[in-house]
Amino acid sequence: MKILDILRYAFSAIKLRKFRAFLNILGIAIGIAAIVSLLGITAGLQASITGELTQGLSANSLIVMPGGDSSGQDSPGFSIGLSGSGSGFNLYINQTSDIESLSPNITSAIAIIQRTGRIVSDDLNRSVTIYGVDYDAYAQVYPSFSAESGYIPVNPQNDDIVLGSRVVDPAQNGTQFIVPGDDVSLLWLNATVLPPVYENYTVQVSGVLGKVGGGFGLAPSDGAVYIPLSTAADFFDTDACDMIVVTLTNSDNATMTEVTNLIKTYYSGQVAVVSSDVLAAVLNSVLSYLQLFLVGIAAISLLVAGVGIMNIMMVSLIERTREIGILKALGMKSRTVLMIFLGESVILGFIGGVVGVVGGWVIANGVTWVLGSGLLGIGGNLSITPVLSPLVIFGALAFGVGISVIFALYPAWRASKLRPVDAIRHE
Amino acid sequence: MSTIVEAIDLRKTYMLGKVPVEALRGVNLKVEAGDFISILGPSGSGKSTMLNLIGALDKPTSGVLRVGGVDIGRLNDNHLAEVRLKIGFVFQFFNLIPRLSAKANVELAMSIADMNSAARSKRAAGLLNAVGLKDRMYHKPAELSGGQQQRVAIARALANKPKFLLLDEPTGNVDSKTATEIMSLIHKLNREHGVSIIMVTHDQKLASEARRTVHMVDGEIESDLVN
Ligand SMILES: Nc1ncnc2c1ncn2[C@@H]1O[C@H](COP(=O)(O)OP(=O)(O)OP(=O)(O)O)[C@@H](O)[C@H]1O
Ligand SMILES: [Mg+2]
Repeated sequence: MKILDILRYAFSAIKLRKFRAFLNILGIAIGIAAIVSLLGITAGLQASITGELTQGLSANSLIVMPGGDSSGQDSPGFSIGLSGSGSGFNLYINQTSDIESLSPNITSAIAIIQRTGRIVSDDLNRSVTIYGVDYDAYAQVYPSFSAESGYIPVNPQNDDIVLGSRVVDPAQNGTQFIVPGDDVSLLWLNATVLPPVYENYTVQVSGVLGKVGGGFGLAPSDGAVYIPLSTAADFFDTDACDMIVVTLTNSDNATMTEVTNLIKTYYSGQVAVVSSDVLAAVLNSVLSYLQLFLVGIAAISLLVAGVGIMNIMMVSLIERTREIGILKALGMKSRTVLMIFLGESVILGFIGGVVGVVGGWVIANGVTWVLGSGLLGIGGNLSITPVLSPLVIFGALAFGVGISVIFALYPAWRASKLRPVDAIRHE
Repeated sequence: MSTIVEAIDLRKTYMLGKVPVEALRGVNLKVEAGDFISILGPSGSGKSTMLNLIGALDKPTSGVLRVGGVDIGRLNDNHLAEVRLKIGFVFQFFNLIPRLSAKANVELAMSIADMNSAARSKRAAGLLNAVGLKDRMYHKPAELSGGQQQRVAIARALANKPKFLLLDEPTGNVDSKTATEIMSLIHKLNREHGVSIIMVTHDQKLASEARRTVHMVDGEIESDLVN
């Protein structure tokens, strides 16, 4: 029998049991959608991090964070978007001058305080990441820290604050809820006292950044609020900082290593010193494991769908015993019967795969939109665009079809082995 | 005349659990091309078993069965399927694929034989026309009467130009008027197109219309008479 005729016949069998086919397709589609959306989101996250690092960090800078280990290797001991290391060890703001004097190869060392808080104005109340930075020094390390409207105040002229573009325009559609000159309140939940209290202060906005993306605390980001370092120290009642960014005279390996070792020695090994390259690599590998883990879970849901397909096929095998008998009596070979059943599973798997890929893409966009919108009160400062490569699309399709076919193999084989006399006698 | 079916000491034993059931107990039969044979006999006498073996749907337990000169007992599954392609088979019940139209049922047999779609569409229409179902081509089996279904089955059995036609009680569940129509169709095929016919029936009168009547009792041929 010709392959096209086999597929056409398989399709006519599927059409007869539309609801059953729908359930099969749904099972596959859910699994594929989960895989595709997770891959799309994590790949988008990866692209976003890499983008932030390359545009935000110059190659000749090092980031110092609490959490080193005794082996002296660069370890991924940093915490993104969180404040404090929890280990009791702290970096202090006043250590920056010590660090600057460690080596002539160091141009500058700047301290950054990072906290999660809220910004409240007449029209707006949303979660933000608040950074305490020295505006001048920060702008020198990060060229993207420049105002699109208003201005960045010259330290320590006043306490005015600078906002990321998404803070004033959450929907990213040009509707700005805050403009330079407005007064806003900043809040953070102080949990060091019991019961926890919201600390707040009111301040004037002087500038709004242009769109820069980001959101991982490694460079200016659209969802961030910037306040002067000294103000932050007062407001958050701390003299510790969350990271120190060290800029070097040049980016060759020898200099990087020398300075890294000097800093580690200074902190007796209790810090992680990473370059943007290493940071990107570590983040990417962490994300890859995360991706593998999540996609693994999604793949299990596909296996469940596969078992469902097998179950439905076994039922339909019994129902269609007589039909198979007739086909064989008409001279159909066993392997053609096998191909008809497999053809049905290929069609179901393919439709499920296509629906799943499209659905996954929609889900990925929805999830990243919610993450970026701050609707959930968390992560409002993340801007991620989901990424779907052709490899993922075709891989997901192939996987959907593959699972469908693998679980159809046994029922199809059983069908092909039916003896025509027995099948015809079957009522 | 050439011999199209030849059975020598043909035996078929089914196992019902551990109990052997001897459905055929040493049958000898020769069918020449162009012949018209009816097989009569009480229920359980082995008529269907005989027909299934000739139709290459099953293999004999022992003995020799040559169909078109080929020993069926020695063929593998694939070759048996090829033999079936050249045999027209009409069963008593549930002959057609319910979801396919009359025409699609006839075409299915041809698509199994790899005929291209234009040719089979034309031939299916011609065959349905020949069995008097010109205006029922796009009806599903459920929308056809028993007699019409049986005629579709005959049209389908003829699809791949078989050398002979095997019919298992083709008039078993139709009224006598329809039975007469089907019988005259079968006669016409035999007479005008030279198709050999082997037909199982319970009806003495219909059986006597054949050229030859084989009587089966208890898995054996009791008599083999030319009418
Ligand atoms: N697949 C099978 N397994 C076990 N026994 C079978 C099988 N097929 C047929 N038999 C037995 O073989 C004997 C002959 O059966 P067969 O179907 O050939 O009879 P028949 O002459 O066609 O009867 P009927 O007129 O009722 O159709 C019966 O006793 C039947 O029970
Ligand atoms: Mg019978």
